[in-house]
Amino acid sequence: MSEIASKIRSIRWQRMMFILLMALMVAGADSCKSTGKLSKKERKAQIEQAKKDLQPIISGTTTLSYDEQKRVVGQIMDKNLNDPVLNEMIIQAQQKLKTLLAEQTQANAQKVDVAKAALYDLLLNKDNKSADELEKELNAIKKQNLKDPELDELIARLEKKIQDMRSGTSNLPVKAQLENAFTTIVNAAKTGNLTQADNTIGKTLQFFSSDDAPVLIIISREGSAVDYDKPTTIKRYLNLLKDTKASKNDIDAIMTDSSGKIKELDLIKK
Amino acid sequence: MRKTISLIILASLFAMSYRVSAQDNLSPQRKQAIDSLALEKVRDLSKYISLIGDKKTPWSDAQRVIERATELFMENSEIGVSSLGKQDVNYYKVREYFDRLMQLNYDKVTIDWYKIQYVSDLVRQPDGTYVGVITIYQRFQAYDKEKGLIYEDTTKKDITVYVKRKETQIGGRLIGFWDVMLGDIRVKETSK
Repeated sequence: MSEIASKIRSIRWQRMMFILLMALMVAGADSCKSTGKLSKKERKAQIEQAKKDLQPIISGTTTLSYDEQKRVVGQIMDKNLNDPVLNEMIIQAQQKLKTLLAEQTQANAQKVDVAKAALYDLLLNKDNKSADELEKELNAIKKQNLKDPELDELIARLEKKIQDMRSGTSNLPVKAQLENAFTTIVNAAKTGNLTQADNTIGKTLQFFSSDDAPVLIIISREGSAVDYDKPTTIKRYLNLLKDTKASKNDIDAIMTDSSGKIKELDLIKK
Repeated sequence: MRKTISLIILASLFAMSYRVSAQDNLSPQRKQAIDSLALEKVRDLSKYISLIGDKKTPWSDAQRVIERATELFMENSEIGVSSLGKQDVNYYKVREYFDRLMQLNYDKVTIDWYKIQYVSDLVRQPDGTYVGVITIYQRFQAYDKEKGLIYEDTTKKDITVYVKRKETQIGGRLIGFWDVMLGDIRVKETSK
């Protein structure tokens, strides 16, 4: 017992009191901050500043991005300034942000659709573009930074195609493959190699959604007046090439379905 | 009310006549395209006839080609057949003609058409159909395995062609096309 009493006596009470005082001062300062108590003058100034910040958002004249506008409105709300006019302005700003988000979503969806269509065209490569040209157009699409899983898949497919083209392992564009097939059928028929002609017809039909995919042949195009030969089907057309041993038309347009198969072929007289 | 109805009828008649007159007044380029199209169909027929007559053409191909060739003709059209030994010309329905041609009793048959040209230009008829006559020369040669060439002749033939504007829907698009149909093929003269 006397040991405990001597230990208590050995504590430097002055030092202890000083530490306790400092701790109380720090705690007191923190609690003052958290209550957010402002002087009337400070509160008024903050309300005015908040109104000033919200006005361009409400009127749509702000140069801030959607995310920045959202942050500004959030910060003002957090201050909890509780001013009736300011509260009304916050509601208006939130509605404006909602509209802006809807518009952005719609515009983004449109951009995604345009990009998808462009990617499908690039994958088909009807214009026989080089790997560099394809990459340039692909980069322009990627730069838009659009978020869509199908778009990502198309980008990956095009990247692979460009890579294959550079390594020389890629298939030719569909248009070139069709033109080659037409020539092969005609030449095989001319030399009497009907088996080769038939094999090429079989392989070529695989590009199409069905053997009955329509083939339209433009015989004359004068302004908006377009004259066609009687519509035929791809199977009949390929057999015509074999029978007549001549290819008298160029490819004008290729229409594909969602799986990339040709659903319609437009030809034009040479 | 009566005035309004009259105006609607007048407007409809105007629209119809405008549409018809737009087809009447084909530009030279469009007319040329139709002329060429009809000639091309006759050239296609010449290839088909050559294939049908050729003994080397596989049976299945010959049947398919007969179908395509028959489709080029108007219903009930006839094709004339002549030979050097006979005065008369026999006319057969298109399908029968092709069947007989395929079964000709020679070891080898060659048929070539040449000098394929208009003898009478395509002229628009009151019903909107363009009608013309194309003449062709046919060189026919028949061979026997042992004796070689055993028969040949050259026949001048006239083919009536009918071209009519039609419309069809394809993939949601309205397509205006020219339907070329062949009529009778008449023998004009046969020589050695």
